[in-house]
Amino acid sequence: MAAVEVVNLWKKFRIYHERAISLKERVIFWGRQRAEDFWALKNINLTVPRGTTVGLIGRNGSGKSTLLKVISRILYPTEGEVRVKGRVSTLLELGAGFHPDFTGRENIFLNASILGLTRKEIKERLDDIIAFAELGDFIDNPVRNYSSGMYMRLGFAVAVHVDPEILLIDEVLAVGDLAFQEKCLARIRELQGQGKTIIFVTHAPKQVAELCDLAVWLDRGEIRMQGPAREVARAYAEFMGGAAG
Amino acid sequence: MCEQIKEIYAYREMLRNLVAKELRARYKGSVLGFLWTFFNPLLMLVVYNVVFSFVMRAQIENYAMFLFVALLPWNYLSVSVLQGAASLVQNGALIKKIYFPREVLPLSVVLANLVNYLLSLLILVPALLAFKIKLTAALLAFPVVLLVETMLVTSLALCVSAANVYFRDLEHIVGILMTVWFFLTPVLYPVDIIPAKVKPFFSLNPATPLMEAYRAIFFYGRWPDWASLGYLAAGLAVLLTLSLVFFNRLQRNIAEEI
Repeated sequence: MAAVEVVNLWKKFRIYHERAISLKERVIFWGRQRAEDFWALKNINLTVPRGTTVGLIGRNGSGKSTLLKVISRILYPTEGEVRVKGRVSTLLELGAGFHPDFTGRENIFLNASILGLTRKEIKERLDDIIAFAELGDFIDNPVRNYSSGMYMRLGFAVAVHVDPEILLIDEVLAVGDLAFQEKCLARIRELQGQGKTIIFVTHAPKQVAELCDLAVWLDRGEIRMQGPAREVARAYAEFMGGAAG
Repeated sequence: MCEQIKEIYAYREMLRNLVAKELRARYKGSVLGFLWTFFNPLLMLVVYNVVFSFVMRAQIENYAMFLFVALLPWNYLSVSVLQGAASLVQNGALIKKIYFPREVLPLSVVLANLVNYLLSLLILVPALLAFKIKLTAALLAFPVVLLVETMLVTSLALCVSAANVYFRDLEHIVGILMTVWFFLTPVLYPVDIIPAKVKPFFSLNPATPLMEAYRAIFFYGRWPDWASLGYLAAGLAVLLTLSLVFFNRLQRNIAEEI
């Protein structure tokens, strides 16, 4: 059973050289606005079986974040189709939508509801989220008083407790101190154990080899290789090593 | 479209939280805080009353109240559309990072202003009593009138917010249009002073039957004109449907255009 199916996906961005957006500019630059089409994703076909962890690997600008955004429905495909079965939670940014004047507890409700939880679901998870974030009494302080580490801990705590069937992660693991990273990885392993489907973006082949079952190597918007995580990670590491040397 | 509405319903908690955030954050840090929600209409009332009974004496009896009963729902409409226009652009960071039905953002603006309007009734009703204006059973029609107005407000907020992403001048154009619309709507003046020659044009204005209805139920203690409200509601049901379709079409590329 496929949790995510990507069929013949193409994604085009228009790159404006002189982005005219107001009426004044539109009149002044009439007909002179040069736009170029940029194909960020070209003919992507991908099947993610339920319960597997897939790593998207590739250089900067290879289209991996774009692919993640299309799967999470933030971006709309230009052509082709994405079929997703199950609740998706996307970790592109921790603590999105936090209001600085609200307390940590209030922001849990705000943030979790933006991620699509109902009030009842949030209440059920509240204690777990607070425990995971390890904020102690700070939970009832406004988040503007938080250190960046506390802010991220709270954001991550909410995101991983959404209890999605499919979790999309975009390099958020690169932030935070070592202890926090360890904790994130532990939580991801726990979610893997629960049979969740995870897709995550990285450019570290080591992480792919350690965490993933499958991997997809993207290069300039195209799939260069896909298959078992170790093989793809090895090929990518060799390629990058060759490219560097 | 059914899918669209289901999706919005699934995110009702987000909608609720955004409305609460809007209402609370507005006065956060001010000494009087939430009380400003009541002071604004109260001060408005005092100013109008002074101006229109001492400075510019109006022909209409109790002109301040005559104005007030229509001005409050007008503000609900006008502020919602203006804030709604900016709602998607302002939350660009969120739109780029997280999927949620984008309709939630303009809807939260509408609902926050709806709540504000309802709270201002706590000033309006005592004021009406203080001015010895009789409250009648016609008040029972209020929820119906409010629902019809909310259909109009929601349609406009949806369309303007989505279009503003692609054409940022719209926000400023809407500001001017709302002022023009205000003077073309019988808020400051009664509908019967409109010359017969231009009256057909005024009846095309969807805000006219609404303001008339509010005035009927609060000021004159009469039932509203059900026929014109009915036609309006039918028209607005179509408009609201089209607005949802329009929004859905435009929202596809919002994340990359913001």
